[in-house]
Amino acid sequence: MTLLAWSGWRIERRSGRSSFALVSALLSAGAGAVLCCALLFLAAGADPIAAFAALAKGSFGSTRAIADTLVRATPLILTGLATAIAFRARLWNIGAEGQVFAGAMFAFWCQSAIGAAPAYLQIPVIVLGSLCGGALFGALAGALKARFQVDEVIATVMLNYIIIYALSLLLQQGPWTEPGGFFEQTAMVPDQAKLPILIEKTRLHLGFVLALVLAAILHVVLHHSPLGYEIRAAGSNLRALQVQGVHAGRLILVVFALSGAIAGLAGAFEVYGVQYRLKSGTLGGLGYTGIIIAILGQLSPRAVVIAGLLFGALLNGSTLMQIRTGVPSALIYAIEAIILMFFLIAWAISQFRLRRLRDVD
Amino acid sequence: MWTDLLEAGIIVSVLAAAIRIATPILFTALGELVAERAGIYNMGLEGMMLMGAFAGWLGTYHSGSALVGIGAAVLAGLVMSLLFAFMVITLQIEQIVTGLALNLLASGLSTFWLRSAFSDVNKVPGISILQNAPIPLLADIPYLGAVLFDQRVVTYAALLAVPAVWLFLYRSRLGLEIRCIGENPKALDIKGHSVALRQYAAVLFGGAMAGLGGACLTVAATAHFVPDMVNGRGWLALVIVIAGGWSPGRVLAAALIFSFLDALQLQIQGVGIQIPYQLLLAMPYVAAILALMLRRKAGRAPTMLGMSYRRE
Repeated sequence: MTLLAWSGWRIERRSGRSSFALVSALLSAGAGAVLCCALLFLAAGADPIAAFAALAKGSFGSTRAIADTLVRATPLILTGLATAIAFRARLWNIGAEGQVFAGAMFAFWCQSAIGAAPAYLQIPVIVLGSLCGGALFGALAGALKARFQVDEVIATVMLNYIIIYALSLLLQQGPWTEPGGFFEQTAMVPDQAKLPILIEKTRLHLGFVLALVLAAILHVVLHHSPLGYEIRAAGSNLRALQVQGVHAGRLILVVFALSGAIAGLAGAFEVYGVQYRLKSGTLGGLGYTGIIIAILGQLSPRAVVIAGLLFGALLNGSTLMQIRTGVPSALIYAIEAIILMFFLIAWAISQFRLRRLRDVD
Repeated sequence: MWTDLLEAGIIVSVLAAAIRIATPILFTALGELVAERAGIYNMGLEGMMLMGAFAGWLGTYHSGSALVGIGAAVLAGLVMSLLFAFMVITLQIEQIVTGLALNLLASGLSTFWLRSAFSDVNKVPGISILQNAPIPLLADIPYLGAVLFDQRVVTYAALLAVPAVWLFLYRSRLGLEIRCIGENPKALDIKGHSVALRQYAAVLFGGAMAGLGGACLTVAATAHFVPDMVNGRGWLALVIVIAGGWSPGRVLAAALIFSFLDALQLQIQGVGIQIPYQLLLAMPYVAAILALMLRRKAGRAPTMLGMSYRRE
């Protein structure tokens, strides 16, 4: 600082941020992330250009690849939205991870009860079941915060671990175990319960459209409803909101339930749209990736959709990348985090500006 | 079978295991305690431990020396925490978000590194782990010797770190300044002492300790590195700092209670009592939530915890 002042410049905080700052932050984050990826490709002994090409071909190379990208993006958009809505209220719900599980499990439980009922009954039951499951599990974390002042970050992380063990218990020796099966998974769901496929010969299912509709609804709720106002106001100043007569505990509970419900939907879509059975492996990591997506999307539903599509493409392309170049697809998780780090840093730097002291005084 | 648990031999082995298991969490929690007293809430502990575990394993594997491994782990913790400190202290990015980002980074990087170095998942090499180093004479005391004085070197170090951190925080000038930053950073700033510098020091110390704690999970416990093997211990360390009321002695007590639960569940599985292992493994996380629900009486959090200091 002193060195800088001596040279006649100083760093100061901007009063407001321009959209130019946002765009340049995004661009520099993108450039930095690409550069880091190239280094990681080299470290793994692969040709970066070939690896990027395989990544792009795997995610957008054909109708099928694009459809798969959208399929991969669906749960990420949902967990991104779930996280964004909670973070907007400065409620740090890290529990989308566990709420995905809760939604999938509750939907599975409800759907098993109606068994092979006709398809027009199945989808509402699955959707409502997952919403309820996610909402209940989310509200549990909310209640711990509102009633017992338990830090929500820690509470949700602990609940994430607990529910994964709970599912494992139900799948291993419990009533949900696939009869005669060796793996920790349920039997296949009945055909009527599978979500309809939108484009023939692809895996693109109804869930994708529902996720987009939900994003639009959340946009409206956030910006044009009393609840949205309370959420945004809680994010900037909870005390002021309480003075206005808003019951903080109730708001915390509502936000957590809402956030959990959205994440729960992601779980059900994975089970009934992609895997057609309930198992632990494929549900893991969706919630944590959703946090990255929410932050990259600036906690705005529209941008979350875009970030979700980008990450869906990355995940989808990574399979072909691994086959073609031998780069482990685990790289994608490193890349996701690197993109987030670069974005956070670039965004933070864009708050500051350099000014010549001569111009200041 | 439950009565088996009450035999003297079993009790001694559970207590010895509790102290052994406490080691990684104790290191990490003590480091975090110092960082939190300086007002910094490091939610990236899980990631720092993970990088420590990975670096410790890789360093030991390449050099054949546990000491090199531990050194590599401390270095990994320092690098991670330097990045964290730069982001939250210099750039003043939200501490929670930064910590989470670091966790994801550590998880991705360590898995990628592991997979690209050893592409065959089934042929990941093991390392030879640290053995117990009984202290002469003391280890021969009946019962107590086996519990306290027949442990690994890192465990003795972790136990000695408790009074060391206490002495540092309450009997040294820098310790006083760090505690002051957590309560009233402006007071220090007005006197012309750099708040940021001391916060950097506290965070780096926390990172080094988390790296060390992570190293204990591989170098002193298992021969293999498994992706995401820290499995919530970094988060439990955060819980222990809160449950321990931000004081070194009570942090030790909290760490021992948690590790006792862990040791107990291992023993319950060991003597063949039929309880689904998932219930046993979920126990520490349930206990963590209960501990936070009931913590009312524990000490008060530093006033400035989690808020970045900004000059007016």
